[in-house]
Amino acid sequence: MRPRWRKVLADLFGNPVRSLLVVASIMIGLVAVGMITILHRTVSDDLREGYQAVNPANIQVRSVPVDDDFIRHLTHLPGVQDAEGLRVFDLRIRSGAEQFKSIRIKAFADIQSAVIDRVRLVEGRWPPGEKEIALEANRMVDVKYRVGDLVEIKLANGTLRSLRLVGIVNDQTIGSDGGGAGFFLAPIQGYITRGTLEYLGQPDEMTGVHLTVSEGQNDLAHIQAVADRVLQEFERDGVATSGVVVRRSTDHPNAPYIEAIKAVLYLLSFLVLFLSGFLIINTLSALLNQQIEQIGVMKTFGATRFAVIGIYLALVLVFSLLGLVLAIPLANLVAYYELGDIAPTLNFIARGARLVPESLVIQVVIAFLVPQAAALYPVLRGTGLPIQRALSGAGSSAEMEMDRLTLWLSRLKGSSRPMAISLRNTFRQRVRLALTLLTLALGGAIFIGTFNMRASLESFISRLGNYFIADIIVTLNEPYRVGEIQAALKRLPEVETVEGWATASGQIVLPDGQAGETVLIQGPPDGSVLVKPIMLKGRWILPGDRHAVALNEYFLTRFPDVDIGDTIKLKIGGKESEWTVVGFFQFAGKNIGLMAYTNYDSLSRETHTYGKSVDIRATSTRKGLSLAEQEAMSLRVEAYLTGLGYKVKESRAGQTIRGRTTGGLDALTNFLLFLSMLMASVGSIGLMGTMSLNVLERTREIGVMRAIGASDREIFRIVLAEGILIGLISWAISLAAAFPVSAGLARAIGSSIFGTPLPFQYVLTGPAIWSGVILLFSFVASFLPARSAVRMTIREILAYE
Amino acid sequence: MQFHPTPNGSRALIRLEGVCKSYSTASGPFAALKSVSFEVKAGEFVGITGKSGAGKTTLVNMITGTDQITSGEVWVGDVAVHRMSEDRRSRWRGRNIGVVYQSFHLMPSLSLIDNVMLPMDFCGQFRPRESRARAVELLREVELEQHALKLPSEISGGQQQRVAIARALANDPPVIIADEPTGRLDSVTAEVIFEIFAGLVRRGKTIVMVTHDQGLVERVDRVLQLRDGVLDAA
Ligand SMILES: Nc1ncnc2c1ncn2[C@@H]1O[C@H](COP(=O)(O)OP(=O)(O)O)[C@@H](O)[C@H]1O
Ligand SMILES: [Mg+2]
Repeated sequence: MRPRWRKVLADLFGNPVRSLLVVASIMIGLVAVGMITILHRTVSDDLREGYQAVNPANIQVRSVPVDDDFIRHLTHLPGVQDAEGLRVFDLRIRSGAEQFKSIRIKAFADIQSAVIDRVRLVEGRWPPGEKEIALEANRMVDVKYRVGDLVEIKLANGTLRSLRLVGIVNDQTIGSDGGGAGFFLAPIQGYITRGTLEYLGQPDEMTGVHLTVSEGQNDLAHIQAVADRVLQEFERDGVATSGVVVRRSTDHPNAPYIEAIKAVLYLLSFLVLFLSGFLIINTLSALLNQQIEQIGVMKTFGATRFAVIGIYLALVLVFSLLGLVLAIPLANLVAYYELGDIAPTLNFIARGARLVPESLVIQVVIAFLVPQAAALYPVLRGTGLPIQRALSGAGSSAEMEMDRLTLWLSRLKGSSRPMAISLRNTFRQRVRLALTLLTLALGGAIFIGTFNMRASLESFISRLGNYFIADIIVTLNEPYRVGEIQAALKRLPEVETVEGWATASGQIVLPDGQAGETVLIQGPPDGSVLVKPIMLKGRWILPGDRHAVALNEYFLTRFPDVDIGDTIKLKIGGKESEWTVVGFFQFAGKNIGLMAYTNYDSLSRETHTYGKSVDIRATSTRKGLSLAEQEAMSLRVEAYLTGLGYKVKESRAGQTIRGRTTGGLDALTNFLLFLSMLMASVGSIGLMGTMSLNVLERTREIGVMRAIGASDREIFRIVLAEGILIGLISWAISLAAAFPVSAGLARAIGSSIFGTPLPFQYVLTGPAIWSGVILLFSFVASFLPARSAVRMTIREILAYE
Repeated sequence: MQFHPTPNGSRALIRLEGVCKSYSTASGPFAALKSVSFEVKAGEFVGITGKSGAGKTTLVNMITGTDQITSGEVWVGDVAVHRMSEDRRSRWRGRNIGVVYQSFHLMPSLSLIDNVMLPMDFCGQFRPRESRARAVELLREVELEQHALKLPSEISGGQQQRVAIARALANDPPVIIADEPTGRLDSVTAEVIFEIFAGLVRRGKTIVMVTHDQGLVERVDRVLQLRDGVLDAA
């Protein structure tokens, strides 16, 4: 081997710690970018393909009872692949000694041959036979049943029925009939065969049809066209429909959350690229600084500039290759670990590790471009120096320059001599310091931004509370007279206000006359104190308004043409009616879907329940009840009403919906925290590199200090103080850098989940925790260099040259 | 490369004419060499002396071309050193001038034999196998072949300087320029180094050596005395 290549190897192995640092800084960037690419690809692939594999319904129709012949007839319509009847109804399941929770039970018309909305068996067997049930795995924690147990179901009339739990299944279609939060808002899910219906007090009739299209499963316009044909058949047969949902086979209900994760990943991959670029520039320029004298020697003995550049780029190439070889498996390991972590929380199935070619390509390209590009400036600078300047070590002469800031800092009153020395050291290598600070500050900014984003989410969701001011919400099995219930509840000393609301689920009637998306319609009584809307535009409903509606902000994005003063058509209970838009209010965006508020009078007339209500809301005489207190109250009120002979379907705390909505976002927050910790470790590796290089470069200076009598402890303290000082400065910068990062995160996550940016929030939790993390990191990062500085003997220091 | 007689017919191998060098410093330009002219004949052993700061290092750097001249001409053989680009000068120097520094300047991460082979690698006059044999031979000449695989940090200063001389001879250059090669060595070791140089002169090399050592000054062919950037009349 030629001596010049032996020099490359010698530099590589001659200083293993330094080489490791360079390789680590290249590797960490590659791992991050590789991991992000793998996740980006696999998350959406697994979500889409996994969902497609369950053969989800493209068209879901809710209707009055339909007969089997009609359903069979639908399968012969052009464009229809399969059609299956089902009956979905809500009952209550025993979840504790005296506790019942809502359960949504889906009965299949023909469970043996059902092919649409396939569930995946997790435990036990499928399908359930008569008087048997399967439960969905995601909500199993709410009830403590095991396979083989008898599950107790409370019927509408209060009767208890027992079903044998034969299987636990995973159903990816939960939430597919509504907005994005459907999965998280969904109650416990149960699956039965048709034969069990009667046992549960249900008529043996199907009230819905799920259909798949034979082609164009991913073409929404085509699916809508097929749906229109299907609806025409319903109309011709005189079967009233009450809701239609069309979906592509790839539209997993939780896709918005994945979109949010992907948006964050995009943002992060840019930051990570910057970070690892800084890191590499940092370590390589320090390495080349140490080589300047050798460059001068090589040029003295006949090396051209080109030859010298070749030597160092070859060295960098070896570093890159080593970093790449380590990064590829590591990136995969981290990515698939994280994927396995996200998948269950978002109810999709991770298909496990596989090769993602583009992650390899990106890693290879970055490995060969970024370090070389980062090395280019220092290499050109080093090789461009006149030989004599290089031989005298040009790097060190620049180091000795001190500017006024540094002098001022080192003369700070009250700072001890070692402290003054570390201050001087810290500010000497200006560029390296800047890069280290940037790396750490970016990691910190993302960490702090994560907490701020969480706060933004919470503040956004807490606005939902304005629409759920009641402490308890009681849903009755059938409409009761509002006055009667009010009188009954007012007799309870803990109850303050009672309101009976009208509610309905309608459909928006599109300009072409077809019924479109489902709209949730609420009708609080005039002057209701249980809703305090946040208006975006126009006004809220006023007492005496007739057929006036206020719409949520999702209408603005879904139907941009609709404005205040316009009339919209809603189909409620099979009948179309016209409503005047008076305003738009802020709700939870597309996550919940379309919502409209009107007043009780207008809505109850449409639903023919004037004077009656199934939706009773009440407040306690005590203010500010906690969720637990609200739940306790709801149990007492339910028992009381049941005792009076009212049939209660469900009674829940006012804060329930808020809690559930937030729950879905925890997955996101955890994911972000994980990513920011990753960034922080990138930063600390950078800091460790900086510190060790500083120590290495100052070997001589440390030798002199020891020669003039500095103790081990003093030298240790100087190096440690320097590292911690850098950490603290980066902390201060990250506080400021967190502003744009938080705003970016709030925008990215807000628009992918809610279709609207989240309100900006800055909470102190992030800075507080980060200050601890950064202190720990900078301590660890400077501890090893400090120890090695102390361990250097004077002889070694003098031999170093 | 062959050395032809200079155009004016003299037998000078190294010729400096009106060489000036000024450094830019914080307090303005500083003239380290003020119009220095002299010649060195092939096969001569010339010593340069002078007080510290007199400009000795600056002067030899002008001959080796490791620093940029301010004005004047430097000829080595028929080559105008002052006119060459840095890269061409590097290649030319690698083949024609062996440089020995006071502080050795060995490559710390390379073994002694690799240090000696490095100039051959850059200049490509010898094939790889040849160059290894040659490096062993050169190390034998300075009596260090048994240490060939050691690192510079594993041997003494005098031994390092001998390796540096072997390296200077790697491409068999006709000229050796040494800047205080014994400056960091004790007198016994310095004597060994001087004897190596004397032997080289006997074999026809031309040597310019900067030295402080009065004892050594008396033993060279000719001495040039520098004072504040000006040559004293001999
Ligand atoms: N790079 C430089 N920049 C400024 N002044 C220099 C530089 N190198 C040398 N000098 C000055 O030039 C003069 C001659 O230096 P030098 O040739 O090293 O002297 P000698 O080798 O005789 O001790 C000295 O006064 C020295 O301070
Ligand atoms: Mg000198």
